[in-house]
Amino acid sequence: MDLLTLSRLQFGMTAFYHFLFVPLTLGLAFMIAILKTIYLKNKNKKYDDLAMFLMKLFAINFAVGVATGLTMEFEFGTNWFQYSKFVGDIFGAPLAIEGLMAFFLESTFIGLFLFGKDRVSDKMHTFAAWMVALGSTLSALWILIANSWMQTPAGYKIVETPQGVKAVLADFFEAVINHSTVIRFLHCVDAGYIVGGFFVMGIMAYYLLKNKHVEIAKIGLKFALIFTAIVSLIQIVFGDFHGYQVANTQPLKMAMMEGKWETEKGASLTLLGIVDDEKQETKSLIEIPYLLSLLSYHDPNAEFKGIKDLVKEYQKIAQEAKEKISILEAKLKELEASGAPKEEIEKLKAELALAKAQARAYNITMEDLPSVALVFTTFHLMVYLGFFFAFVVLWGLWLLRKGKLYTNKAFLWTVLLSIPLPYIATELGWVSAEVGRQPWLVQGILLTKDGVSFHPTGNVLISFLVFTGIYTAIFFVFLYAMIKAVKKGPKETISLNSENQIKA
Amino acid sequence: MPAELFTTLEGIWFLLSGFFLIGYALTDGFDLGSGILTIFTKKDENRRVLYNAVAPVWDGNEVWLIAGGGMLFAAFPIVYASAFSGFYFAILIVLWALIGRAVAFEYRNKKESSLWRKTWDWIYWIGNIVPAFLFGVAVGNAVIGVPIDQQGVYHGTFFTLLRPAPVLIGIVGVFMFLMHGAAYLLRKTEGEVFELAKKAAYIGFFGYVISLAITDFLLVITSPYLYSNYFKYPLFWIAPIMMIVGLILYFKFLSSEKFDKVIIGSSLVTIGTILTIAFATYPVLMRSTINPEYNLTIFNSASSHITLTVMLVATLTLMPIVIFYTIYVYRVFKGKVSTEGGYH
Ligand code: HDD
Ligand code: HEM
Ligand code: HEM
Repeated sequence: MDLLTLSRLQFGMTAFYHFLFVPLTLGLAFMIAILKTIYLKNKNKKYDDLAMFLMKLFAINFAVGVATGLTMEFEFGTNWFQYSKFVGDIFGAPLAIEGLMAFFLESTFIGLFLFGKDRVSDKMHTFAAWMVALGSTLSALWILIANSWMQTPAGYKIVETPQGVKAVLADFFEAVINHSTVIRFLHCVDAGYIVGGFFVMGIMAYYLLKNKHVEIAKIGLKFALIFTAIVSLIQIVFGDFHGYQVANTQPLKMAMMEGKWETEKGASLTLLGIVDDEKQETKSLIEIPYLLSLLSYHDPNAEFKGIKDLVKEYQKIAQEAKEKISILEAKLKELEASGAPKEEIEKLKAELALAKAQARAYNITMEDLPSVALVFTTFHLMVYLGFFFAFVVLWGLWLLRKGKLYTNKAFLWTVLLSIPLPYIATELGWVSAEVGRQPWLVQGILLTKDGVSFHPTGNVLISFLVFTGIYTAIFFVFLYAMIKAVKKGPKETISLNSENQIKA
Repeated sequence: MPAELFTTLEGIWFLLSGFFLIGYALTDGFDLGSGILTIFTKKDENRRVLYNAVAPVWDGNEVWLIAGGGMLFAAFPIVYASAFSGFYFAILIVLWALIGRAVAFEYRNKKESSLWRKTWDWIYWIGNIVPAFLFGVAVGNAVIGVPIDQQGVYHGTFFTLLRPAPVLIGIVGVFMFLMHGAAYLLRKTEGEVFELAKKAAYIGFFGYVISLAITDFLLVITSPYLYSNYFKYPLFWIAPIMMIVGLILYFKFLSSEKFDKVIIGSSLVTIGTILTIAFATYPVLMRSTINPEYNLTIFNSASSHITLTVMLVATLTLMPIVIFYTIYVYRVFKGKVSTEGGYH
């Protein structure tokens, strides 16, 4: 394997792994804070017990989230040297602000929440829970700002320096609230809430099936069901918006997600299909006419550009940029010779730098594209899962109205077995978003192959193997501790403080 | 002192980078230092006290490292890129060690088995001593110089990093953290762990003084340029003086049994040491051994002024809030840690 593939593999693996723990942090923190608030209001000790029990599970998850997040923070430098140099001016800021605004908050108050129950009032303890939830949400916000900038860059300009061409900040707010930030944040955090909701529902269902901790389990199941119902139904709306956004800002990605090789007017939406990368065609098994154009451009007859035409278009942009370079260079010489004002020269230089970046970044062929089948399949599976979650929560709400929620075995088994599904949906979503962005690291300005560090291939192979080993070991320890804690159940957590101490 | 330090954004960011480094060394420093003691006591209760002493705060402390990394990325991206990819395995080994440490806290007590616990204790120990050592090695390499070219690309191997001077600086770092960790434990513990901390405080002190003297001696010979700033800017002497005052106070409080105050000494030593190195290397952040013209200085590696300004505003508004609640939480947990799980 070559250096680039290994670097991508390592980054993908570590990000993928980090994102196994992040969603549950987001979801559980928020649910715990709500439960603690309900407890403050109604003084029903069961709510506090439930919150404290979930907190114990949260702590087990959080430890791994932190450990794996640490890798992410430094991996841009270790493995994406050229990328970090190219975008550091813009990309570093959200990462740094994330630390200041989010991680300090989250990590400091989690200490207070886990170990300080006897030392502070109930109110303060609830406040700490809210701060943990706020911290994790803010951390998601800033990291997603960073990621969204890579997907839909804005508020920057390209300059040439002695150390190479790079992107620098032109407008902070434009860069932060770029075209995809808001919807990506909503969709992603909501995904975390779905993960948390199903996680709690599943565990409560498990207790009901086992006839253990019944009282708490009923409270928990009802609470989690209502919570999950809201967030799962909203997610379909967010997902639709997100799709609209992608279609308009990253048409190539959208074409890959939908498996459209050729341009179509009034394009149909393929519900079920098989993509063949070799033959560059998609076999549609079930499709709905006009729907894709309608969803993507809110017009059933709109033209939906196919992959092949888009690649040709990008080729053209590259060609034009290339031609511009020599013209601009000549003009620059002229201006400098004539002693034109500095601003004019600067402006021309920026134009030249942009042309250079574009001539390189848009120069792509069909060979540079990732596997369309992968993007298509992962995206479709995520959407199917989204509708499945909506079905499950509607079924649950119906049972709740009928008064059969706690006794319907089929439903309880379904939610118990569904615990992994939202995890799978979030990972599938990320794979389609990140692989679909290829061949670019930063859409339209930096190719992935131009972002990597210069290492002997063997070094990255070794580090990849060590990461895999460590992460696999941690994963099993995590599962062991989680399952053990769930089996032990909430009863013991009444004296949680001594429970959560690092103790015998 | 050079005026650019205060009048240019680059200079201010140099000081702020120092601030984050100091913040990290002062807070996570005592976690690392006290963690180094884990395997020097056999009894499980004592080990538990060592974990308990830092359990509620270590995660917040580690964020200084994360925020500092982010700051370096935002303010001096080329240094971030060059150092982290150049010091590849050194950085990754630190990460692997810290991952082990983070996980050990949570999982050590999840199973009633002495083999399980002993394994985690070793992982925890490695998770403390290895970063404590490699941080110093990394700083040492940046200041004495590494083979980087004009683009900031590193042309050495992992073993280039293990030259005598950086390794010595790494050892100084370990003793510095040990001093600080022991001083923290003197405030937080009683009984056997307290006695252990007392011994560690002396070892840390003498270890620091001796290793520092040897390092200094070597650097005078091999890297005399590190001393030139002190002739140019006499005010820079504040830093080494602070370190020496810290050392005197540390020893005085320790020998006169004012155990609560020893930490004042180690804090001054920590701040003084970091500033001494920072002032020695100013304005270079990473020296090139290939050609001095390739040195990454604060001026040729900094971000644009917009980014530096935005980050300055963000730091100045957010940091006071962070410090405020951090102090609050430390106060909630003040007092001695007992052997029995709880804090009394
Ligand atoms: C529980 C998880 C979950 C569920 C049920 C859904 N998604 Fe999703 N989706 C994610 C979790 C997720 C994610 C992992 O959070 C992603 C990855 C990147 C992102 O922004 O969010 C994502 C990405 C993502 C993207 C790509 C964004 C990009 O490329 O930048 C689109 C277009 C959608 N989603 C659309 C949908 C639709 C139409 C759904 C219909 C129900 C849906 N998602 C359900
Ligand atoms: C802000 C967050 C993120 C940033 C800045 C980011 C950035 C990157 C970078 C630099 C790469 C390597 C180059 C490439 O191959 O594209 C990459 C690839 C990848 N990332 Fe992300 N990523 C982020 C979040 C995530 C998350 C949360 C996941 C998964 C759960 C993820 C999954 C992947 C995968 C699977 C790849 C490999 C894609 C491929 O090689 O084709 N990313 N991402
Ligand atoms: C690929 C880029 C990413 C980087 C550099 C990164 C960085 C980090 C770091 C350093 C931590 C540890 C914080 C601590 O010690 O408390 C962390 C944890 C966390 N990250 Fe990430 N992260 C990335 C992707 C993401 C994404 C895409 C999200 C959210 C949508 C996210 C959300 C979180 C949350 C909520 C935590 C809290 C701890 C936990 O996971 O349990 N991260 N991240």
